[in-house]
Amino acid sequence: MLVRWRGVHQALRLVVRLGWLGLAGLLVPGGGSLAFPAQAQMVHAAPSAGTSSSPGVLAFSTVEIGRILSHGPWPPAPADAAAHAPAHAPARDPGNALSGQPQAVALGQRLFFERRLSPAGVSCAHCHRPEQDFADGLARSRGVAELDRNAPSLLNAVHERWQGWDGAADSLWSQAIRPLLDPREMASSPEHLQAQMLRQPALAAAWRRVFGRELRREEPQAVLVGTAKLVSAYVATLVSPRTPFDEFRDALARGDQVAAARYPLAAQRGLQLFIGRGNCQLCHGGPRFTHGEFADIGLRFFVRPGVVDAGRFGGIEALKASPYNLLSRWADPAPPGQPDEAVKTRHVEASHRHFGEFKVPGLRQVARTAPYMHDGQLATLEAVVRHYSELNLERLHADGEQVLSPLRLSPHEAQDLVAFLHTLTAPGPARSKVLQPKAQQPKNLNRVATR
Amino acid sequence: MKPGLAAAVLALLAALLTSVQAIAAPCGEQLPPAHRVLVEGNGQGRGEPAGVTVAFVPDPAPWTVSRHFALRGQLCGAGRLLRVDADMPAHRHGMNYRPTLSLQPDGHFVAQGLLLHMPGRWRLRFEIEVGGRRHWLDHSIDLK
Repeated sequence: MLVRWRGVHQALRLVVRLGWLGLAGLLVPGGGSLAFPAQAQMVHAAPSAGTSSSPGVLAFSTVEIGRILSHGPWPPAPADAAAHAPAHAPARDPGNALSGQPQAVALGQRLFFERRLSPAGVSCAHCHRPEQDFADGLARSRGVAELDRNAPSLLNAVHERWQGWDGAADSLWSQAIRPLLDPREMASSPEHLQAQMLRQPALAAAWRRVFGRELRREEPQAVLVGTAKLVSAYVATLVSPRTPFDEFRDALARGDQVAAARYPLAAQRGLQLFIGRGNCQLCHGGPRFTHGEFADIGLRFFVRPGVVDAGRFGGIEALKASPYNLLSRWADPAPPGQPDEAVKTRHVEASHRHFGEFKVPGLRQVARTAPYMHDGQLATLEAVVRHYSELNLERLHADGEQVLSPLRLSPHEAQDLVAFLHTLTAPGPARSKVLQPKAQQPKNLNRVATR
Repeated sequence: MKPGLAAAVLALLAALLTSVQAIAAPCGEQLPPAHRVLVEGNGQGRGEPAGVTVAFVPDPAPWTVSRHFALRGQLCGAGRLLRVDADMPAHRHGMNYRPTLSLQPDGHFVAQGLLLHMPGRWRLRFEIEVGGRRHWLDHSIDLK
């Protein structure tokens, strides 16, 4: 059903008056129903004043419009950090005093592409390639050896509450330590890092400028943590670009019917499924399209015959045992006035239901980061949609979340959902060239990557 | 004085004290009123305690999906707060975090480390010991 624009805009103004515009979450105490008792109320068609009719926008209900708006704005505004959802938090790596410091970001960027950090010549960018949106396109990544999991994109990683598919790290810098040391990834060591950087006077000088200390006098362990924090200061700047969905969402917000009607109808229908019958928004909510936690969606979880990936359950155990978590002596204190960044680490607790759960990934740039899931077992977005359409509930562990049920999508609905997912990705392959790392042009790289 | 009589006198004094407190300061009066929630146990329902009230506010407010928050509140009445928790009965899951609780002698408390990670109906749960028995005082909230 199509609707003319004025109706949509009137509904939006009603939303604004009721005070929930742009909030990712609104709660009404009392356990009753909510700000919008008529959840099925539709926005009625009304002629557009002074424009040709614009039958290019679906008849979204007020509830649906509110849900659409909750997926933005993008990019998040740091000024809104205190009042809004996690995605609006300032781009700062927790426990990392270097995060946001330009000198540290520049040095971290250089180290990100530095192969000599690894005795095997493997850099961070080996698995997190700028031209592939900081993923690598492989089902299971390969450093020194093949790994058990897919390399997630680093775009927007700074906004994640937990790092890695199992959330074994509570900051970017503690996550960065793992691949540095893992013999299957970069196979490095604190001593190797220090020796390699000392061999490059420019790096040693940059270290001195950032830390105010001589690299050669640092303890190797401090060099390891410092390197990870530098790299993470750079990774914290990587934010995905705006997408066609953002244009549509913002057009709704400002009442621009012409711009809204440019958003393909197939994508609008897919969006309606996403925020409605599909229940996708329950986990893929907010501006990043994730709630930042973990879920069991009935995926295959055998790494190889006889070997199981414990997912979040193992991640919490690793987190608690890590000498580099936010409760450790290596974590820098939060800036004055900032909330306690370690509250999550202090209160997270493993339970049986976490077994086989993996992180709910954000969906921005999703069309460019195939294959999908923690081990890349689904090759295409069509396969992902099919997975949810034909979900096998018997594969869920324990009691399973009652959120999930097979969607039983028609072929057209599946196509619409895929069409919507594609609009979460900035169009055009040209950016890959611009993002290609060039050590001699760090400013260009950084500027483009942080768009 | 016989032990039984002494216990009765003490119980009476405790009840009087509670009443005086209630008259002097309504439960949770010191909490910011904008987001304050009052939950009164009336002894009805399954395991619900009678004669106790919990007042609380989220910090930071308002309630927001997938953001850590604390509950600052006060338990009023002859009970002892043991635990604060939350779950989604319809989804058959709770939070991914176990809140910690700090109590003050006057019934004020701070529960830290809560996070409601998806929209929908959540049930905030206060486990309270009254007269040697454990009860749950619940309050549902709908998060969008």
